[in-house]
This record gives sequence, C-alpha cells and structure tokens, in this order.
Amino acid sequence: MALVLVAAGCGRRLAHERPPRPSEVRDFEQLFARNCSGCHGAEGRLGPAPPLADPLFLAIIPEAEMKRVVSEGRARTLMPAFAREQGGTLTAEQVDIVISGVRKKWAGKPDDTAGPLPDYLAPADKTDVHARANREEAFQVFALSCGNCHGTSGQGGNEAGPLKNAAFLSLVSDQALRRIVITGRPDLGMPDFRKLGAMLPAGQPLTNEQIADVVALVASWRRPVEQSQTASAAAAGGSSER
Amino acid sequence: MPSRTQRIIDWFDLRLGIRTAVLPILTHPVPRGLGWYYVFGSATLTMFMMQIVTGICLAVVYVPAASDAYTSLEYLNNEQPLGWLLRAVHYWSATGMVVLISLHATRVFLMGAFKYPRELTWILGVFLLLLTLGLAFTGQVLRWDQDAYWGVGVGAAMVGRVPFIGPALVHVLLGGPNIGGETLSRFFGLHVFVLPGLTILLLVPHLYLVVRQGISSRPAPGKPVDPKTYEAEYEKEIAAGEPFYPYDFAKDAIFSAICVLVIFALAISFGPKGPSEPPDPTLIEAEPRPDWYFLPLFALLALSPPEMETAIILTLPVVAVAILLLLPFFAGKGERHPRRRPVAVLVVLLLFLTLGVLGWLGNVAPWSPEMFAWSGTPIPVHIVERLTPEQLQGAAVFQNKTCRNCHSLDGQGGKRGPDLTLVATRLSHSELIRQVIQGGGNMPAYGKQLSPAEVEALVSFLGTLRREGEPLPRSPAADETKN
Amino acid sequence: MSEHESRSPKASGAAAESPPNRRSALGWLSVALGALATTAAGVPVVGYLLSPILRTPGDRWVDLGPVEEYPEKQTRLVDFVDPLHRPWDGQSERLAAYVRHDEGEKFQVFMVNCTHLGCPVSWFPQSGLFLCPCHGGVYYQDGQRASGPPPRGLYSYDSRVVDGRLQIRAGRLPTLQQPG
Repeated sequence: MALVLVAAGCGRRLAHERPPRPSEVRDFEQLFARNCSGCHGAEGRLGPAPPLADPLFLAIIPEAEMKRVVSEGRARTLMPAFAREQGGTLTAEQVDIVISGVRKKWAGKPDDTAGPLPDYLAPADKTDVHARANREEAFQVFALSCGNCHGTSGQGGNEAGPLKNAAFLSLVSDQALRRIVITGRPDLGMPDFRKLGAMLPAGQPLTNEQIADVVALVASWRRPVEQSQTASAAAAGGSSER
Repeated sequence: MPSRTQRIIDWFDLRLGIRTAVLPILTHPVPRGLGWYYVFGSATLTMFMMQIVTGICLAVVYVPAASDAYTSLEYLNNEQPLGWLLRAVHYWSATGMVVLISLHATRVFLMGAFKYPRELTWILGVFLLLLTLGLAFTGQVLRWDQDAYWGVGVGAAMVGRVPFIGPALVHVLLGGPNIGGETLSRFFGLHVFVLPGLTILLLVPHLYLVVRQGISSRPAPGKPVDPKTYEAEYEKEIAAGEPFYPYDFAKDAIFSAICVLVIFALAISFGPKGPSEPPDPTLIEAEPRPDWYFLPLFALLALSPPEMETAIILTLPVVAVAILLLLPFFAGKGERHPRRRPVAVLVVLLLFLTLGVLGWLGNVAPWSPEMFAWSGTPIPVHIVERLTPEQLQGAAVFQNKTCRNCHSLDGQGGKRGPDLTLVATRLSHSELIRQVIQGGGNMPAYGKQLSPAEVEALVSFLGTLRREGEPLPRSPAADETKN
Repeated sequence: MSEHESRSPKASGAAAESPPNRRSALGWLSVALGALATTAAGVPVVGYLLSPILRTPGDRWVDLGPVEEYPEKQTRLVDFVDPLHRPWDGQSERLAAYVRHDEGEKFQVFMVNCTHLGCPVSWFPQSGLFLCPCHGGVYYQDGQRASGPPPRGLYSYDSRVVDGRLQIRAGRLPTLQQPG
C-alpha cells in the first residue's frame, strides 16, 4: 500500500512537470550548460575559449563590457552574439542571469595584494601601434616572458605552440590577446601578468604599458591567411564528392 | 416454488430473451486445449472499453478548441481531482491496446486462424487494427502541444505528396489553409466520434463472426485446412470440446484483469504523457517526436533515400494493408501449425525485428543533429589540454561552426556524422581540407561558410584527433606531387 | 418459430399476386426517392467537410516591420500573426519566418518548415546553416538544400518593401506540390 502511495506521488509529480519555454528558463546552471559550456568548458574552464572561471578576469572586466560581449559577441573572434536582437537565442534577462551567475559562481578576490590590476580594455593609446610593436622593450618583454614557452620569436617551443601563426592571429582580436596576456590561461598552465612579469629582470608584474607592447608585437605578426593549395583545389573541384 | 428473485429474473427474461440469446454464446462449445494463447483479443476489447470510459471522462473536462486545449490539459494534470490519473490511464491503455491488438493479430497469423472459414473475421480485424492506429495518431494530436502541432505538420507534409490531390487533401486534413483551431476540432471529431464509431461498427460483426465460426482449434502439424472437409472435422472437435464458460471465459477474464492492473500500475508510476511545450509555432527550438507507435515510421522516413521517399510514403502503407487484406485469399488453405509454415514464422520474426530496430533508431534518432551541442557540449578536456593556440582556435571553430551538432567527440555530440575523436587516423591533412570545404557523403560543403583562417585552424585541430604516437595516414595528395 | 415459418411463404405469395408493373414501379420509386433523399442530405455534408478545398482564401500581405530592423547580410527569426487565423486559434495563430536581408531592398523570407516533412528548422548564424531537428535536413543561408533528406530548398514567402516596411504574403502551410 505504501508502495502504491509512493508510486502515486511519482506519476502525479511527473504530471506536474512542464518544460518551460526556452525564453522562460531562468536557471543559471541550465543556461550556462546549454549556451556557454561548449566553448568555455563544463566548469567554465578547460575549453578552447578562455576560461570564465577565472577570478582575475572577472575582477578586471567591466560589467558593461561583459554584457556587451555576451549580447553582441566579440568582433574578430569566434565569440558569437547571444542576444535575440543580435540573432542569438537569449533574452536580455537571460543574458543578465548568465553574467551575474558567472560572477556569483567564480568571482573571488584574485590572490594578490601587490599593486593595482591592469586595465582590461586597452587604454586610449597615444602611441603609434606600429612604433610600439617595434620598440626594443616589446621584443625584450616577449622574449623573456613569453619566449620561454612560445619560443623567443613566437615560433613555438616545447611548452606551448607557436603564436606566429597566421590562422591563430586571424581568429583572435587584439583585445582577446590582451586578456590572455593579463590573465594567462590558468586552466592550461599559462601564467598571468604577474608571473610573466616576474621573469623580467625587474621581477615586477607586467605594467599596462608592457602588456600593450606585447600585444602590439604579437598583433604585428598577423598576416592574411592565404587559401592553401589543397583548399583552393578543393573549392574549385566541387564535383569530386566522396 | 421459485424464489422472489428467480421470479423477477424470469419476468425480464421472458421479455428480453437473454437466456436464449446470450447463454448459448457464453456456453458455446469450443475445442479443447486452447491454453492461454487465445486471450489477446478479449484483452484488446477490454482496453478499448477502458479507452471509451476514460475518454468520455476526459471529454467532460478537455476543451477541444485550439485556444484552450493546452490550458485544459494542464488543468486536468494539476487541478482536476484524479485528472492526471485518468489521462495516464487513457494514454497507457492506448499503448496497451496497440500492443495487445498486435499480439492478437500475430497470434492469429502464426496459428493460421485466419484461414478458411475465418477470412472475413481477419479482414475486419485488419480494419480494426488500422482504426486503432488512427485513434492513436488522432489522440496524439488532441494532446495539443508542440509535438502535436508539428506532428500534424508532418502528417500534412506526407499527405501533401499525394499526386495531384495532395494539396487539397492537406486542406481537408487541416480544416483550413494552415494548422490551427479547425485542425484540432477536426481531429477531435475523428478521435471522439468517427473512429470509435467505426470501431464499434466493425467490432460487432467481428465478434459475431467469432461466435458464428467458432473459436479455431489449436493448430496441429500435418492437419491442413481443406474447405471440403473442414466443417466435418471442426464439428468433431466441437463435439469433443467444452463450453466456453467457465474455463476459457475465466482465462480471458483473468488475463484482461491482469492487463488492467498493469495499465494502472504504469499510469500511477509514470503518469500521463505530456503535454510538452505549448503549441506555439514560433518556439523554433521544438524537436518534435511522435509517440512510440510511430517511431518506426519516423525512422523509416529518416533512412529512406530522398529520391524514393515519396514512393515509400505513398505506396508502402497501401501495399502493407493490401497484403494483410489479401492474406486469407492466397494463404487461406493448408497447414496451420507454425512448424509447417517456416515462411510465416520468418516473416513475423523479420517484421518484429524490423519494427524493433526502426523503433529503437527512431528513439535514438542518430540522424537528428543535436541542436545545442555546439554551445552546450564541451570539448573533452583531455583533447583541449594538448592543443596549441592555433588548434585551440580550431576547436572553437569546430564548436562555433556547429560541426559538433552532427559530429561527436568521445561519443558526445551529434550522431549524424561520424565520431571524429580519431578522425586524423582516417583522413590526411589534405583529405580533411577537402572534406570540410566540399562536404560530400551527406555533409554540407563548408567552403563558403569558413574563412581560410578558420579552415586552417579547424583542420589543424582535427589533425590532432588521434591516439598519441599513431602514424598519420598517407596523404594521396602528397603522393601525387611526388610522382 | 412456427409462427415465423407460416408467415413468410404467405407474404411472398401475396407479393406475387400484385400486378408486376405496379411492383416494379414501387420498387423504382423507392430507389429513385431514396437516391434523391440521400443526395439531398449527403451533398451538404460532404460539401461542408470538403469546404477547405472549395473555400481557399488567398495568402495575404503581412507587415514585418521597418526594413532597418533587419541588418544587411544577416538572418533574423520573426514571428507574426497568421493573417488567415481563426479567432480561437490560440497560440497556434502565430507563425515564424526567417528574414534574410541581402542588401538594399533585396530580401529572402523563408518559411520555417523543413521541405522534407515540415519540422521547424533552426538557424545557426555562425555556420550560416539551417538545421532540421527531425531528420537532419540542412540548408545554406540562401535557402538552398545542403544535405539530408529534403527534396528541395527552403520554401520562401513572396516579399516586398512598401514605404520602408517589409511585407510578406503568408497564410498557407507550404507543401511540396504547393510551395508558395
């Protein structure tokens, strides 16, 4: 009898469950799993896209910028727009839920008290980018901070792959590069601006200036990607279906 | 001296003639040794009666108007006392009816009970089977939710392929130019009046014939049906038989009761089906699935080659029904026992195997892209950890360009295309590029959808998808350049 | 039982006695009148049920808002109220469409119904593809069939721009033989 009653509750409960309209889903975990985890990883880390489970990143990114990026996507990267008005699937409310959820879940005090944090967005730059990329300081910072792993001229090393790679540089914006220089990829073992700076003779965290230098240098390697021979052959010979 | 009750019974019986009309039916002699094989037909009837009772109850509350049907279903589930249970019993006994009528038909087929002189009983049974499926489909539409809405759409798309009169038929089916209020009302009329009425109309002669021709005896190998001698032999079997009541009647009653109890147990523990999302055609994320009875059909429509599809949709049902109807005419005589009819047994096995496999495929639907895999199914961590910056971008391209909706990594993701966890051991760099750009083998060409940088990064990522230390496949393109 | 046996031969005997032409006249009259009555009752019923064929209102123009709402080279999902809807259609009175703004006044407006069996296709802007969740039909952004079981490209609405506003002609459920 008790069993029947338990079971009765079961069928009845199932009857009460109704899937909400996609636009009515307000649960952060559900929204994150469905919309973000594909690129940013199930736990907000260890995905191909930079981690969101990163207190340093969450400490420096301005609220408005985060909202803009989720809603409109990030230009010159693979981050797509998620807001409905931009052709995505999330309502404005859901975008807010995702953002506040990410902050609530992963924001914390970045474990550092030494000195101010660098700006997330590149400060209004008065220096000519071309000049900046060719400064001696830029080469030095890159060679000492990044070169250990990525090779002194970005050709790639044992620890990490090349940065002087046309496809890679075409798919990341300067802002994305800047973010990675600041936060590193803690989930993949890439150090942040403090440890990168510690490799320099001064042993200090990278400054805004140095970060801008490195980004400019790396960005200066950007070349348009030519369609490879096979690719153009494949594009031309459309008939040879396999 | 007859008792008072006895006198009352007699008074009625003189006028109604129950004893002379019904008792002989109840006690009509049946052959000995029927066993428990003959219980499916009466159990199907029991299910049908449950359908009628619960159906009437539901109709008392359910609103057959497109504007309110969904709300009334939610009301039935959540507010109406025991509404959830009646909806559940209606759904599960519908399931039971489809299952039992299939078992009944299979039993009759395997035991050769459709042969002389029971051809008409079989033919009526075929129509009853079709009506049952019709009731199942129309009932699914009355559950006016997303699946119902798009289910009607699928039905319309199939009907729309009928040569010449297709579009007109669609409009008759929908009761208008598009799916809407009149569609639901039409299906309500069919489900509640027309189809049950027809079912009863055919059930009466079906049962009449069962009584008139008598229940077939258990088949025995080496005892073929011969119209010339059959009657005499059956007379002998009947003479040596027993009355239907009480023993065989009891078997029917016991089995029916068990079926009803099982239906209730299922209804109580699993509850009613749906309604799922509301019937709002602007909810584009819908992934319509038919109820289980139509999963094999759903699968067949996915798997049939496009150029043959219209022919399959239009001719297969006609051929199947024609075969069933003509069966007693080309196999109406001869051996009844399954041991002497290997082809019949093989056909049944193949049929159920096919239906089973198709139904399973329909449930898994490997051909359906996983619409949210691109943004909701992470790249396996062990793959991410070994990637270079370019390959990480390639992995992001893989997700962003929705490759994942059709391709799995580590078994996670869409199943429409091959799993790509080890693709680099199968395809060389140049083959990968060609496949991505040209598509082929049911994959769209991505040449126009990807920038050269994206192709580069993507192929660089795909090139890492192999076991550590495994040799790369030889590139035919490289060979060509060597020669 | 005995009553029944005795009655039937008498009845047939009586029929045989009546003049043959009167019997056949009655017989013919019953058939003719019966046919007339059946037709009188049947035609309206059949006509009523088949009325959706006879009374096919043409598609009507529906306003989808100002052209500026649709960025060039992008595809947007819009919904609108079926111009031929019944007052009691409820949620199902709404319909969805994909608007692709090519450039200037050039628009393509696709129906969401897959041409295979009518399931709603989803648009993926990043890969520029429409995917169908039912049997895996795929279309390119211009509506061309890309792969899978669909026998043709996406159905599209007639569209026009009037006073800077996009309009489409809509109302009928598209099927293979009656696409637009």
